[in-house]
Amino acid sequence: MIKAENLQKRVPMAGSELEILKGITLEIKSGESVAIIGASGSGKSTLLGLLAGLDEASAGRVVINGTDISALDEDERALFRGQHVGFVFQSFQLLPALTALENVMLPLELQGQGKALTLAQTFLERVGLGERIQHYPRQMSGGEQQRVAIARAFANTPSILFADEPTGNLDTATGSHIIDLLFELNREQNTTLVLVTHDLGLAERCQHRFRLEAGALVDGD
Amino acid sequence: MSMTATRMLARDWRGGELGVLVAALVLAVAVVSGISAFTTRLQTALAQESHRFLAADRVVRSGREAPADWLQEASRRDLGTAQVLTFPSMVYAGEEGMVLASVKAVSDAYPLRGELRYSEQPFGDLITGGRGPEPGTVWLDSRLFPLLDIAIGDTVAVGEAEFRVVAAARTEPDQGGSFLGLGPRVLMHYADIAATAVVQPGSRVEYRQLYAGEPAAVESFERWLQPQLGEGQRLLDVNEGQPGLGEALQRAESFLLLAGSLGVVLAGVAIALAARRFSERHNDYVAIMKSLGATSGSITRLYGRSLFLLGLLATLLGCSLGWALQSAFFNLFGDQLPVAPGPAGIRPYGIGAATALVCLLCFAWPPLRRLSQASPLRVLRRDMPQEQRRTLTDYAVGLAAVSSLMWWYSGDWKITLAVLSGLAATVLLGLGLALTLLRGGRLVGMSAGSIWRLALAGLQRRGTANALQVVIFAMAIMLLLVLLLVRTSLIDAWQTQLPENTPNHFALNIAPEDVQGVEQLLRSGDIPGAPLYPMIRGRILSVNGVALPQTDDPEEGRRQREANFTWADTLPGDNRLLEGRWWAPRSDAAEVSLEVEFAERFGVGLGDRIGFQVGSEPFEATVTSIRELDWQSFNPNFWLVFPPRLLAPYPATFMTSFYLQPEQKPFLNGFIRQFPTVTVVEMDVVVAQVRGIVSQVSAAVELVLAVIMAAGALVLVAGVQASVDARMHESSILRALGARRRLVLGGLWIEFAALGVFAGVLATVGAELSVYILQAQVMGMDYAPSPWVWPVGIGGGALLIAGLGVFSCRKVVSSPPLAVLREL
Repeated sequence: MIKAENLQKRVPMAGSELEILKGITLEIKSGESVAIIGASGSGKSTLLGLLAGLDEASAGRVVINGTDISALDEDERALFRGQHVGFVFQSFQLLPALTALENVMLPLELQGQGKALTLAQTFLERVGLGERIQHYPRQMSGGEQQRVAIARAFANTPSILFADEPTGNLDTATGSHIIDLLFELNREQNTTLVLVTHDLGLAERCQHRFRLEAGALVDGD
Repeated sequence: MSMTATRMLARDWRGGELGVLVAALVLAVAVVSGISAFTTRLQTALAQESHRFLAADRVVRSGREAPADWLQEASRRDLGTAQVLTFPSMVYAGEEGMVLASVKAVSDAYPLRGELRYSEQPFGDLITGGRGPEPGTVWLDSRLFPLLDIAIGDTVAVGEAEFRVVAAARTEPDQGGSFLGLGPRVLMHYADIAATAVVQPGSRVEYRQLYAGEPAAVESFERWLQPQLGEGQRLLDVNEGQPGLGEALQRAESFLLLAGSLGVVLAGVAIALAARRFSERHNDYVAIMKSLGATSGSITRLYGRSLFLLGLLATLLGCSLGWALQSAFFNLFGDQLPVAPGPAGIRPYGIGAATALVCLLCFAWPPLRRLSQASPLRVLRRDMPQEQRRTLTDYAVGLAAVSSLMWWYSGDWKITLAVLSGLAATVLLGLGLALTLLRGGRLVGMSAGSIWRLALAGLQRRGTANALQVVIFAMAIMLLLVLLLVRTSLIDAWQTQLPENTPNHFALNIAPEDVQGVEQLLRSGDIPGAPLYPMIRGRILSVNGVALPQTDDPEEGRRQREANFTWADTLPGDNRLLEGRWWAPRSDAAEVSLEVEFAERFGVGLGDRIGFQVGSEPFEATVTSIRELDWQSFNPNFWLVFPPRLLAPYPATFMTSFYLQPEQKPFLNGFIRQFPTVTVVEMDVVVAQVRGIVSQVSAAVELVLAVIMAAGALVLVAGVQASVDARMHESSILRALGARRRLVLGGLWIEFAALGVFAGVLATVGAELSVYILQAQVMGMDYAPSPWVWPVGIGGGALLIAGLGVFSCRKVVSSPPLAVLREL
């Protein structure tokens, strides 16, 4: 379960402060799929960053599965992310130095998982890339890269998956395949899915939606 | 994560991101270990060579026989020992034959270092090695055979003893360039001295005890011996070997150390630049790893491990390259060296590895260490500013590292200070000037065509970054110019010091009535020579009326002593007047001109009165000028010069020096026969050796220069690369907007060339300044401005940087803009 209480984010500007998030309170139950929607600049990605523990809030707190991650320091949050959280990004964020297989093994190795190799192979086969495990990101299409990213995100069996515009860099057909895959795995592993998008069609496939406008939560169902 | 560390390195290597970093490290290690191994081997070789000039490792020289205990103590310490006595004496043969010779008596073990050369017939084929004459026999200088009208097997007399002549003495290792005991050589056994009864208390003789052995044993013996030395006993070591060679080699060593230090600075700058770029490019990777749960500790370990692997690889490659460089040199030129180069040992490679470690820790690690602080939020927001601010600590660490490396490496704080202050001036002046110039350039560009406006606007937009870049370019170009300038004047100085027809023979004791004949003979033989100098043996007695102490101690500068006087109407050619004035022609005033070091040793200056004695006649003269001599010129030089009319009443002999080509050597036979009383000193072997060594050291200097040039080029490449991303980004946007190839490339050309011109101006000013300090303070050379350095520095800078810059950005016009943008 994810609980956000009065989350605020302010950044100093020349002489004043810019308020990006104005006191967000929300709750996401385990196993739910949730979409955060809103126009560009509404604060979606900032909210995702705070919920996932990638950033520190100016005020308020985030509690995930009973742990107040706002009280942790960056290294403790990193360990927490490694154990509980998976990510899928708009720009894939694979390490170009590593093959598909090594990219998927990376979070497993960081956790000290002994069976990293087998697990990574299994997940790459699961996303349909069993034949391409030794390929480097630059040898793959955008859709394929995003599938590697999905395999990487689920390989660690996270309890929560954060996805930031996962289809933003893909064409419609590829994007919809990726989304199908994402939801399939989500169901199989009973993961909580938090998705940031401005694609309303994609948002409709989630159980709940939160709409952000100018840093404030205006709607939630 | 070790798998990922090597993976990451492998991929970065393939992507070309490590190229400059590794190359800079390898070069730093190669330069340091190569130069260090080179100088070590050369020093060992030259030490042997100098030992050869002593015929031993250490020598005690004295006017009276040194205690025999010393020889016993040396033997007890496993050192080899020998004894030598040199004295002038008449040699008689038959009824008529009688010549003043320089007799040298040597014990069985002589020489301990180097080799004796003799021949079975006068002027015959040289035989090298072996011992000196057996008791009862002598070897005579080839020239003595015609003078005494004898042949091998005949008998000659020295004092009261008779000896059988068994060979012609040709050269001894320690005959050196000393004028003491001139005259043709007679070599005899040490045991025969007593029989001659020539050596009496008060005779002009020189005793030598020779010691040689393992360096450690020699040094410990030296420590034991030092406190026992009494008055008139002097311990000689290798430094006494060859003063003419010494200075040239010392300068060469200074140059090599300077070059090595500059190489380290350049490599350090290249490493810092490359590491910075490397870490900038890795910010995103770190963010991804952090989002996947990597802690800053594990990131630090990952990059630490990568750096360690890099350092290991670079050290191995660098040491191999350094080894290859110096051994290539010795392979190419080794057989021209008078002695085999010694071993270098592992110390040079240790120094190389330590350099790699210091470079990595102080230049590469600071930016990489901060990578662990990169925010994981970058995975969501790539436009986040990079947390890559160079702190003051970074600069301080870099500066400290550079200074201590230079100091440690050159062992000379003067070199370190000269280079550091030159660099500091360039950096400080440079930053200010670069900013001003770049602003000025923008104003000019406003009214110019579109390519120019584009280029100059580009320059100004990244004003501070560009100013920094100009300073880095200027530093690299400056250091290269400094090296080029110093090397040019060094080699010029050597060449003028030993021109082709440097005199290699001295003729002394020329009687006044023979002067014309000698001149004529030299002229008719077409032998180039120096003028004939009169020479009068006299004694220095007092200063300002106060008698000087009478002592035999050669270490005591202010004492009564004998010296050679000469006279001259005009200042001799290679002398330089430092103080006072030269006397009027035909002056008969009681004046004297002193050599500067001689004046210092005696503590006298302009206006002081010195008392002299020639024969039995004392006279006084006032010091009216102080001169500087070129001791390396191989021309006759005199400490004391008087006006001609002052010395005219005293009996003088004359001396001169002349140059003989090897095939002209037989000229000497006729010369000696015609002027039997003239002493000829053959210096040709020494001069040829000096010239040979100087030419090899010049080659070494050139080789090292080329290596340092490579280090400088690396800094330029690293400096250009530092800004390539931003420039590529802008240029591809221009391309996307439809700018033609010519506009984009032209803009880049102008932008980089302008940076190059600014850098060239700064570099040239800085270089001239540094060279001035270096030559005047460190190398002891005269500074002369070099006008050619301006066009070379500025034009070369512009061309080089524009070429490198456009080459690095060439992708922007050959690939689709989107592909370029995506990669950045």
